[in-house]
Amino acid sequence: MRRVLSGLIAAVFVAAMVIGGGEAFASKGTIKIGSVYIFSGFAATYGQFAKQGLELAVDEINKSGGVLGKKLEVYFEDSHAKPPIALRAIRKLVYEKGVDFLIGLDSSGVAKGVVPYLKELKVPLLITHAATPDVTGSQCNKYTFRVSVNINQNVMAAARIAAKTKAVKWTTIGPDYAFGHQSWEYFQKYLSKLNPRAKFMKTVAFPKIATEDYSPYITAIMAAKPDGVFISLWSGDLVNFIKQANKMGFFNQGYTVLMSLGAATEVLYALRDQMPTGVWVGTRYWFLANNSPVNKHFVEAYKARYGVYPSYNAQNAYAAVYALKAAIEKAGTTDRMAVIKALEGLKVEVPAGDIYIRPGDHQAVLNVTWGSTAEDPKYPIRILKPMVIFKGEEVTPPVWETGCKLQ
Amino acid sequence: MKGMAKIGVLVLTIAFLFLFPQFAGAFPVLFLTEIIIFSLFAMSFNLLFGYTGLLSFGHAAFFGLGGYAMALLAQHYHISMIPSLFISMVVAGASAAIIGFFCIRRDEIYFAMLTLGFGMMVFTLVHQWRSLTGGSDGITGFEVPVLDLMVKKFQLFSPWSFYYFALVVCLIFTLFLWMVIHSPFGLILRSMRENAERVSFIGIDIKFYRWIAFIIAGLVAGVAGGLFAMYDRMASPSMVHWTMSAKPVLMTILGGSRVFFGPVLGALIFYLLEHTITQYTQSWMIFLGAILIPIVIFFPEGVLGTLISWGKRFMKGAGHGG
Amino acid sequence: METLLINILNGLCYGMLLFIISLGLTIIFGVMGVLNFAHGSFYMLGAYLGLWLALHLHSFWLALLVAPLLVGALGAISEIALLRPLYNRDVSFQLLLTFGVLLILDDAVKLIWGAGYHSIDAPKGLSGTVHLLGSTYPVYRLFIAIIGPVIAVVLWFFFHKTAWGKMIRAAAMDREMASAIGINVPLLFTAVFFFGTLLAGMAGVLAAPLRAVGPAMGDNIIIAAFIVVVVGGLGSFVGAFAGAIVLGLVEALGVQFVPHLQMALPYMLLALVLLVRPRGLFGSE
Repeated sequence: MRRVLSGLIAAVFVAAMVIGGGEAFASKGTIKIGSVYIFSGFAATYGQFAKQGLELAVDEINKSGGVLGKKLEVYFEDSHAKPPIALRAIRKLVYEKGVDFLIGLDSSGVAKGVVPYLKELKVPLLITHAATPDVTGSQCNKYTFRVSVNINQNVMAAARIAAKTKAVKWTTIGPDYAFGHQSWEYFQKYLSKLNPRAKFMKTVAFPKIATEDYSPYITAIMAAKPDGVFISLWSGDLVNFIKQANKMGFFNQGYTVLMSLGAATEVLYALRDQMPTGVWVGTRYWFLANNSPVNKHFVEAYKARYGVYPSYNAQNAYAAVYALKAAIEKAGTTDRMAVIKALEGLKVEVPAGDIYIRPGDHQAVLNVTWGSTAEDPKYPIRILKPMVIFKGEEVTPPVWETGCKLQ
Repeated sequence: MKGMAKIGVLVLTIAFLFLFPQFAGAFPVLFLTEIIIFSLFAMSFNLLFGYTGLLSFGHAAFFGLGGYAMALLAQHYHISMIPSLFISMVVAGASAAIIGFFCIRRDEIYFAMLTLGFGMMVFTLVHQWRSLTGGSDGITGFEVPVLDLMVKKFQLFSPWSFYYFALVVCLIFTLFLWMVIHSPFGLILRSMRENAERVSFIGIDIKFYRWIAFIIAGLVAGVAGGLFAMYDRMASPSMVHWTMSAKPVLMTILGGSRVFFGPVLGALIFYLLEHTITQYTQSWMIFLGAILIPIVIFFPEGVLGTLISWGKRFMKGAGHGG
Repeated sequence: METLLINILNGLCYGMLLFIISLGLTIIFGVMGVLNFAHGSFYMLGAYLGLWLALHLHSFWLALLVAPLLVGALGAISEIALLRPLYNRDVSFQLLLTFGVLLILDDAVKLIWGAGYHSIDAPKGLSGTVHLLGSTYPVYRLFIAIIGPVIAVVLWFFFHKTAWGKMIRAAAMDREMASAIGINVPLLFTAVFFFGTLLAGMAGVLAAPLRAVGPAMGDNIIIAAFIVVVVGGLGSFVGAFAGAIVLGLVEALGVQFVPHLQMALPYMLLALVLLVRPRGLFGSE
């Protein structure tokens, strides 16, 4: 028994030495950014693209003298697409690495788990991908901003496209978590307003994340004989779904197919010519949607450095760094509260175009791109032809509708 | 003399645990909080495994149910901490009574498979009942209940105050488990582990004793789960999944299942290894596997168990020499 | 009605994969008394190796021949090096040891092939679809649903008509007797583990064109395989076949009829069988 306890004590002391070593504090010369994305599992490529976009922005800024004369320094952590792991990662970044600001988050589920905790951490977070309306709606708080397109904006655009098609009977295939269910909920809400004749079927499919075999779900949807199918699967799940759906003849049935995140270049590169043509796909940024010098520079620099066209996740991470830079420069300090003030109402040009961060709910207002997939010999992947661009103001619901009460 | 030393070491350890936050930053304090909570979870598992001889592969069901009960209470009812934790414990214990009623009818592999089956049924329940549990996103965005001690109210937001609360709760339930194991009831459990047939010959209802042990283990796992949901500010299906059930199994085997504090040392080793290894590589599971295998082959008594038997042999040798 | 038939086909297709995996698992348990937690990881390894070999050898069929042998060899090595010292210990130690193997294999494929998902096309001639029951259906799925029973028949002959097969069955029934009549038990154990993991690897290669190949595929299938062997009866050949078909159908039809309960159905089946017929549908008392 004595050994038990002495062993225990020794172990606890070792533990103390290993982890009690020292809490890092923000050093004077640098601005530390903590970044959490998915680096493993079904969406690992998303984390990789975001990291590339973020590093590109940081290197550009550091080369041209940093922000307020300070260099940017980034620490990455993997969320594994799981809320508890993401929370742990953020605690580690803030408490152990001592980061000043946070950028990142894929997955609505992760965002819903992490965002409420920011009130305790008191560290601003710029969300670049997670799209649930809740984090700039019912859950909104002073520390949470989003520089990317959210579900409302993307799905509002989808509903406008859907309203112009002949499809009446609609169903959905989406991932079984917040994002999939909310996408379908908003699609029904918006489309029923635009097209009162639209019917929403009882047969819907919500396979769980990282499903390996979609055939039972594909069979169920095909058996229900819909006119239109709204698909909110994304990442590796969407890739697997499309490959299996191709084999089962899903795309030859004459359905109108809308994929809310089908124009992610991660997906298009993974599929190449296996991506069906004539399918409506949405995205949170499209590298050919904007002819501005800022976008041209970004696409060229990204292609030169990484050999592929940037995805929305890459652009959003890149844009977040520049938005943060603009806010810090506007505030004239790296003080978190001052930067929060500066972010509210910030207007900044990023590759996706001009974005405006609303003070009311901290959601960015920006243009939303949809398009129909087409072949083009100039590109190794499917591109959007025709392309439809929706003005940000047209597809963003007013603040009062979001349920956010920041003031 | 020996007893005095034991008490001395115990007092020192507890004193260290209480003083630790005074000189450590937020991250080490959070880190130790997690270790303490998982130590309690693993010890509750070991009441079944080490002391009753039943390998449960569904213990996360009670950990998770405790967590969900806590999160739901915090989200909807805003009652204070101690009653919330008590209800979490009762919810977990009641489900352990129902699930245990069936599981204790089988042993060995069949018990492990039954607990796995029931554990995953609970998992699908929390995963599918979206309106109550939030589905795969779990329950998030609630506030940590106030700790109301009649004379004074405490907010448990900061890592430090939550650490102290978790520490005190875990110490109380560790003492409780210690008393259970060292009671006549605990003695019967251990003799059942050694030879169930012989125990049943002297007229003891084995199933009943196993059932009570199952319920106690479930109660304590529920407390650990309730604490963990507060610590994480969320209850998510991963708390109930079989991979979560595997954690206390691993910790207990690492530390030693036949020693009371084995699971505690196991939890500590588990987290220290994870923290150290993930600083260099993402593939920490390879290392965990590579450490687990030799322990299973060469040190079946676990790290602490092996240290103790070495110590005993050394003392004996020294005794002969002197 | 057509949907029902298509879903039955889906279920049979998945069931046949499960059968090949579970057969390996149940033979290993029957003969050696080891519940191999890493069995799903050997299946996953088979899928990755199959994918990789098919890419480099330019032949799916060659990959189907070579990959299972490699997986079986790795299985045999781990049996000799790791499991041998544990035969006289409690079953929980073997379960934990194979859990350690699972941890290593799962992370190793991530290191070698990355954390993302992979897929390959079905081999030429089996890659199209056929018109069936007023709908289209992939040929490869039909192929799997048919190949399963063929494999079952071949294996049944192996176990009942060949000397090795008879020896394995004898050892599965009574280990001490087998050793008394002069069977080299350690060699037999290694052979059985080789053969069992080979089957897992073969199922992996066959699954690669059907399903997404990723690092979690072993963890996902092992629980299903456990359910199959426990429901069918640990160590029972017929049980593995019946259990796999039942579970395959339960999963596929569950999506159609009770989508909300679908996830829970396999576990309910497991618990029910264990409580009513503890040794499984075809297990011996």
